[in-house]
Amino acid sequence: MSDERNNRDLERSLRAALRPADPGEGFAAGVLARLATDPARAPRPRLSRATASWLAFAAAASVVLGLFVAHQRQVLRTEQGLEARRQLIQALRVTGEKLELASRAVNTSERSTDSSHSGA
Amino acid sequence: MSGEPAWTEGTLLERASAGDTAAFAALVRRHQRSVYSLSLRMLADRFQAEDLAQEVFLQLYRSIRSVESETHLAFWLRRVTVNRAIDRLRREPPLSQAALSEADGLAAEPSEIDPILERRLRALLRELAPAARAVVLLRYQEDLDPTEIARTLKMPLNTVKSHLKRSLAALRERLGNEDPDGRSLASDARTLT
Repeated sequence: MSDERNNRDLERSLRAALRPADPGEGFAAGVLARLATDPARAPRPRLSRATASWLAFAAAASVVLGLFVAHQRQVLRTEQGLEARRQLIQALRVTGEKLELASRAVNTSERSTDSSHSGA
Repeated sequence: MSGEPAWTEGTLLERASAGDTAAFAALVRRHQRSVYSLSLRMLADRFQAEDLAQEVFLQLYRSIRSVESETHLAFWLRRVTVNRAIDRLRREPPLSQAALSEADGLAAEPSEIDPILERRLRALLRELAPAARAVVLLRYQEDLDPTEIARTLKMPLNTVKSHLKRSLAALRERLGNEDPDGRSLASDARTLT
């Protein structure tokens, strides 16, 4: 009981001894003066929830757009490759046909030469 | 404060966040006693305490947009003040006795207890380790309960309770040892007229 009372008295004394102290009249002015010379004085911008949402959306959209563009480029490159392949095959076929024609022409010419020699 | 607009703290916060320096100054005036008193009792030096308290408000200005409400503001100020004070105590050497005595007798209102007991209590408080001192200050100066103290100092609740219990026991023991007549503290407490 006496301990409890002593505790209560001590707590009361502590509260009285630790009552708030005043920093003096010029304190707030001092803070503002330091603020004026503080190089990092600008409050750090805090994004509003709407702005943060828009930024997140824009970032996500950029990623999706980037992936889409990369995919499109890949598709285009593949199509260009296929087209080049088609053109190469076409060119080879045409060349083959030309060679075939030339070969036939040569053979026909040789045959007619041989027959004219044998006839003479 | 005379001449100050009667805005609510929420309005002041909003305006200060938007860059209104007058609103920020009003916030400083509303919280300067608490911040300065915590700094003073932690550091036991008027000049260091004023410097620390100003730094706390400069930090507040830079981070004011992260402060969400009036309750959050008081919590933020107490936490930053105590943490900065503990950091300073770790960095800087102990103060001279002259500086300690200078810290006495600065309370805003007249004392309700014997001034000798008051000075002795403050002196004994300075002998506590910084973390224990912070706990006692938040309990008896800021009137926070142990749960709020634990949240402010990011300290386990049991540690807060243990700091309080041991600090009170130490203070009581030291005061008891110094009282040759074995009087209770109650007899020291008297109202000044």
